[in-house]
Amino acid sequence: MTDLPGYPSRRGFLKATAAGFALSGVAMSAKAADKTPPVPLDQYERSYFTAEEWAFVMAATARLIPSEGNGPGALEARVPVFLDLQLAGRYGAASDWYMEGPHDPGAEPARGWQTPLTPAEVYRQAIPAFDAWCADTYGKGFAALSPQDQDAALSALQKGEAPLAPELREFFGILLANTKEGYFADPIYGGNHDMQSWVYIGFPGARAAFREWPERHNVKYPLGPVSITGERA
Amino acid sequence: MKTFLKIIAGLVVLGVLALLAFLFVPVQRSAPTETLAADWTPEPGRGEYVMRAGDCAACHTAEGGKPLAGGRAIESPMGTIWATNITPDKDTGIGTWSLDDFRAALVDGLTPDGEHLYPAMPYENYRFMSEQDIRALYDYLMTEVPAVRSDVEETRLDFPFNLRFGIRAWNWVALRGGIGFEPTAGDDLQARGQYLVEGPGHCAACHSPRNSFMAQAGTHAGEAGFLTGGVVGDWAAPALHGPESALKDWSVTELAAYLATGRNAHSAANGEMGLVIKDSTQYLSDQDNIAMAAFLKGLDGKVSDVPQSLSVALPQVLPPAKADDAGAETAKMLTEANPEMPLGARLYLDNCSACHFVTGKGAPGIFPELAGNTLVTSDQKTPLISVILHGASVPSTRERPEALVMQGYGERLDDSEVAALASFLRQAWGNAAPAVSEADVAAVRSAAPAH
Repeated sequence: MTDLPGYPSRRGFLKATAAGFALSGVAMSAKAADKTPPVPLDQYERSYFTAEEWAFVMAATARLIPSEGNGPGALEARVPVFLDLQLAGRYGAASDWYMEGPHDPGAEPARGWQTPLTPAEVYRQAIPAFDAWCADTYGKGFAALSPQDQDAALSALQKGEAPLAPELREFFGILLANTKEGYFADPIYGGNHDMQSWVYIGFPGARAAFREWPERHNVKYPLGPVSITGERA
Repeated sequence: MKTFLKIIAGLVVLGVLALLAFLFVPVQRSAPTETLAADWTPEPGRGEYVMRAGDCAACHTAEGGKPLAGGRAIESPMGTIWATNITPDKDTGIGTWSLDDFRAALVDGLTPDGEHLYPAMPYENYRFMSEQDIRALYDYLMTEVPAVRSDVEETRLDFPFNLRFGIRAWNWVALRGGIGFEPTAGDDLQARGQYLVEGPGHCAACHSPRNSFMAQAGTHAGEAGFLTGGVVGDWAAPALHGPESALKDWSVTELAAYLATGRNAHSAANGEMGLVIKDSTQYLSDQDNIAMAAFLKGLDGKVSDVPQSLSVALPQVLPPAKADDAGAETAKMLTEANPEMPLGARLYLDNCSACHFVTGKGAPGIFPELAGNTLVTSDQKTPLISVILHGASVPSTRERPEALVMQGYGERLDDSEVAALASFLRQAWGNAAPAVSEADVAAVRSAAPAH
């Protein structure tokens, strides 16, 4: 390698300097102006759900984790966005699940996923079936029911009193589980907006540094949460 | 009046003659410092060892290229500089060079044609090398390194840097005295360390500042600028002795361990020094790394804690260090974790303290100390900002094969947050360096990562 008399440089110098010279005046920021409010749920651009399905999950998650009460509800936490993104992605496609069968709808629940349908397909087929049951029973689709009737309908669904085809038997289970996941998962996945559920329960998030705390008994941990992308609350 | 004109004319003639001599009289090569018998042969392995000690591969091996076959493109503001092929290929390497040719390149910066090398080739330092090492290195390159045919692109710099004869004048200023090594250090061990540091190791090329001619301000112990800290592009190569020494709190053993393994109780090597350890010092014997450490620490006075070897009894349990007096206040503030704390401190807790801890002491041999860390407090802010944005890695070394990796936080933190965090680090635990601005961070973010 060669270099110039008069320049204090060695290899790294040249690399780094060349880069430095390349600076233009344009500064870029990783996540400037992140704090613009998110698009309202009724204007949200869906990745997976149809309009009818969206109306259903908005209504159903709002009953599973209602907005009235102490903490944020599923809608404040934007759980439907989480569901939409998950069903559009690997989870919805069951892309890393064993899906070859045999599938036995009569098997013990402990024996796991007993349908050839993916989670996304379960939502797609179960929502109209359940809506039809609601229409038969209450005269209206689920989204149009009163909160009391919605609660009753969901209870019936959970207990198996609202009959669905055998390959849809997991529907209520995954709807409830996915709603909880969207409520508590890191905001990077679309739900838990502004880490509201973490603030509510006092979970400090993705800080991973609590070495000073295990022995401080009966001292309330003072800091709010931090998310994977570095949001603070 | 006539006399006066005669004098003027005489001076002009002399000047022209001097200029012609400067341009056309061949530069004298230095004679070897020792006459070795024609059948002298180095002990097996010595030549390769000298190659490691001199870190030839750092420049002469291209990334992903054949060893020592050159071709590393080095972008500079003056144009691209290409490292040459030093394998024994007769057409594209140094296969036709005699020992005298080779020595002239190493100690005088001359090619066999008498042309000057650019002083990126550290002949300012290699001129201290012993004749035995030079010959061992020559034998190694000629007989043990596979010849690689590799046409390296010729370095073509713009005017005036393309006029290599100008380096002759520079050499008059830059090179002090003849070739060869004169130890000044206290004992044999330190003298060996001094030889490695001043000669093949060419530490002064980065760790000495440059004088007004941009030559190394000190290449030999006792010279004013010797290893008092230099600047390597955007990186600071810290002072290795004196009041600003980065090694102030390091023992000889810790310094030797750093050279041998890239890590010690205080720090972990990254950037340019990481490459030096990866390509060079990890291959040196414990004795030689101890010798260099003893010499460097000896520059600040008597050395008392010289170990016999660097091997440690395993398993080693190293309890986390407590905050020292200077760091106590910051540690207390972070431990209390008051939500009203400044943003930089909060960002430290959110992102850094899991590894570097509220004490800023890190974990010995794994996570570097941030308290008193010269990379953190340097006037050169780019490395710190770059490490926060892009992360850092410590190379795998023979004795400590686990590569250490720090992730980057460029996605997680925006420019103002990085600036707040970096400013916090530079003023926490007794550190006292000026703040980093959002614009500083934006500049580093929009540049390519330095490493």
